[in-house]
Amino acid sequence: MSPQDERPAGWLADRVGWAGIVARLSTHRAPRRSFVFYLGGITLFLLFIQVLSGILLVLYYRPDPAHAHESVEQIIGELPYGNLIHAVHAWSSDLFVACLLAHMFTVVVRRSFRAPHELSWLSGLAALVIGIGLAFTGAILPWTEAAYTHARVGSQLAGKFPFFGEWLRRFLRGGDEVTLGTLGHAYGFHVAGLPACLTLVVAVHLFLLLRKPVIRTDAAEQETIPLYPEFIVRQAAAQVGVLVVIMTLAIFAQRNLGPAADPTQPTPVGAGPPWYMLPVHAIVRDAPTELLGIDGARFLVGIACFIAVLVAALPFLDRKGSRVTAWLAWTALLALSLLAVHALS
Amino acid sequence: MRSASLLALLALVLALVGAPPNAFAQAESPEANAAEGEASQPALRDRHLPAPTNATNTCASCHATLTDPKLRAPAHDFAKSVHRDERIGCVACHKGDPRDPTVGAHSKAAGFNPHPTQAEVPGICGGCHSDAAFMRRLNGRLPVGQLELYSLSLHGRLTAAGDRNAPTCAVCHGKHDILSPSSPRAPVNRANVAKLCGGCHGDPEMMAKYGLRTDQYEKWTKSVHGQAFRAGNPNAPTCTGCHGAHSSAPPDASSVARACGRCHEEEMGFFEQSPHSQGFRERGLAQCVACHSNHDIAPATALLVGTTPDAACMKCHSHDEKPRKVADDIAALLRGARDKAAGARAEVAGAQEKGIHVAGASFALDRVATAEMRVRGVVHTLDPSKVGARVAAVETAANEVSQLVATAERTRKEERRGYYVALALASLLLATLTLKAFQLRRRRLGEP
Repeated sequence: MSPQDERPAGWLADRVGWAGIVARLSTHRAPRRSFVFYLGGITLFLLFIQVLSGILLVLYYRPDPAHAHESVEQIIGELPYGNLIHAVHAWSSDLFVACLLAHMFTVVVRRSFRAPHELSWLSGLAALVIGIGLAFTGAILPWTEAAYTHARVGSQLAGKFPFFGEWLRRFLRGGDEVTLGTLGHAYGFHVAGLPACLTLVVAVHLFLLLRKPVIRTDAAEQETIPLYPEFIVRQAAAQVGVLVVIMTLAIFAQRNLGPAADPTQPTPVGAGPPWYMLPVHAIVRDAPTELLGIDGARFLVGIACFIAVLVAALPFLDRKGSRVTAWLAWTALLALSLLAVHALS
Repeated sequence: MRSASLLALLALVLALVGAPPNAFAQAESPEANAAEGEASQPALRDRHLPAPTNATNTCASCHATLTDPKLRAPAHDFAKSVHRDERIGCVACHKGDPRDPTVGAHSKAAGFNPHPTQAEVPGICGGCHSDAAFMRRLNGRLPVGQLELYSLSLHGRLTAAGDRNAPTCAVCHGKHDILSPSSPRAPVNRANVAKLCGGCHGDPEMMAKYGLRTDQYEKWTKSVHGQAFRAGNPNAPTCTGCHGAHSSAPPDASSVARACGRCHEEEMGFFEQSPHSQGFRERGLAQCVACHSNHDIAPATALLVGTTPDAACMKCHSHDEKPRKVADDIAALLRGARDKAAGARAEVAGAQEKGIHVAGASFALDRVATAEMRVRGVVHTLDPSKVGARVAAVETAANEVSQLVATAERTRKEERRGYYVALALASLLLATLTLKAFQLRRRRLGEP
């Protein structure tokens, strides 16, 4: 494009150096088949939806226990499109956690964590932890009965972590008990602390992806497609597809707000954990009171933490990407599913 | 600080039952000695509180150590009572000489009275509690008219006539263990007083002599008043709400509207303007009670008025042409108001079920409820045109609710439309991108 090209589109392309970007993107190749390569992009897109709908919600949400529930009621009941925006935020949060987990699972099964992707793996795990933190803190904000129980049980569980559990529990609660401080902390983490961390982690994750592409440039030509435009168009189609799904869910499967929290009341009957915590719930609920001389739940959470450390170290423990790892991943998925079913029963 | 709190305690202590201070005043001032024997007279000018240092209660210190429970219990009960104060002491009621640490305290010369009789009790309590000047020094907010009111009451008149069943102060308030009426454990506390009254008035043997029924308590618990009382409504009347406490007497047929009208002011006013007022008086009918009954008052619903067999109007007017028509007209109006109000509530509930929050609905529904309540009041005029005017107010309020619901539903519909447009645009974009992806694929594979 010449500098004389003064049509608006040409002018913009010239100023941002569009041709250079396209040329650069065109040198990258992307896998031709398999939906799993779209999962990361979908997860990122869900994060955008979360941020946009979250900004709209935060305009009216009031983070103090006296007004929190009332303000969410107002958002859902009175503000134009409030109920839909609330539902979109809630549904995309569930899908976000689901996609994070699915993305991680496919990476393990396809052994994509191998060198030179160790840092991608680690930053991805960090994103997963932050994502679950966002879901946890977000579920506290409506300050419903369920939210209050969620805050209490969740922070109690955090207290079972080895070494820094007690500190973590107090930190999450903003004190010894679930109080006014808890809601303020959850709000701060949810709208500022965790999104900031996640943005940073995702930026690192994407940078590493461009730096060390998943598909090497020497891969067989017929197994790949150009990153631009074909893969990007497909990716965009997948993302818009997810948007359509979320919008449909939001209108046909409304997310009801429960009654306001009343700390003087006992835990409501039928209060359950969020779906992604079901396996943990099953383990902690049915843990024996004591194992090898220490608190049973603390012991099991300790073991889970140890396994988590092993998982984080996967690229270093399994450098070549053994089939055993993939097999273990499937076994873990089966075990966790069984535990989740058990937790519901 | 300490003496101030002691004084406050003493003030509280004397709130209920008289501790005749002449008894301890005798240890204090010569003028009070002159007043001795006049304890039941209200206006004793020279009563003094003894200084705390002079006060002793050797009765309690001795009685608390006795082995006979009958003699020991009063000392223990007194220590927990509202009158517990060494300056009042046992001597306030029983007299004697508390400075004597031996059995000499039971001094007949000092007027020792171990067992005050039923007839003596009101005078003993009233000795302090009727002395305005004395009580004011303790606590200006304490009432002083109890003895006078009691002597006017049926209970007081029966006691004066020597009826051994009639309650005196101690029967309701207790003897040595008297608590402040504000104490939740006090039998005269608002929460307990209906049971207290029911204790005697529910005893068929005792009541047979007076020809009184014994089902009042039971009926009251089931009544609209008893239900509201149990639900914690602070305005719901218990026995004393209508009958008074110290001045307890049954309101008679001509004055019952005054008792009800203390709370149901508007109803009373309308009733007194109505043809019923004159007619009831001539026939000796008991005003409000004639239609609503007394202890077992049911909620006033539209069913109370009309020509159905259960309607109150049919008790007297089953064969009267004109009153029947009035009853029918008013009943129809009441049904209209009831249905209109119920309809408004149902509309809001229906919208809420659909997830539509109707802004301002709770205030609007409150206005409907108020208008409905005002209809019930005006029924007592027996004037269909006046009832109709207030029913119209219910309709107006209910229509406002309908409008709010309609607005909320319309807004929701518009929102849905906008959202569907957005959804359609997203689907269109999805279709375009999918087509584009296929086009790129075809181009890559070199197809035309």
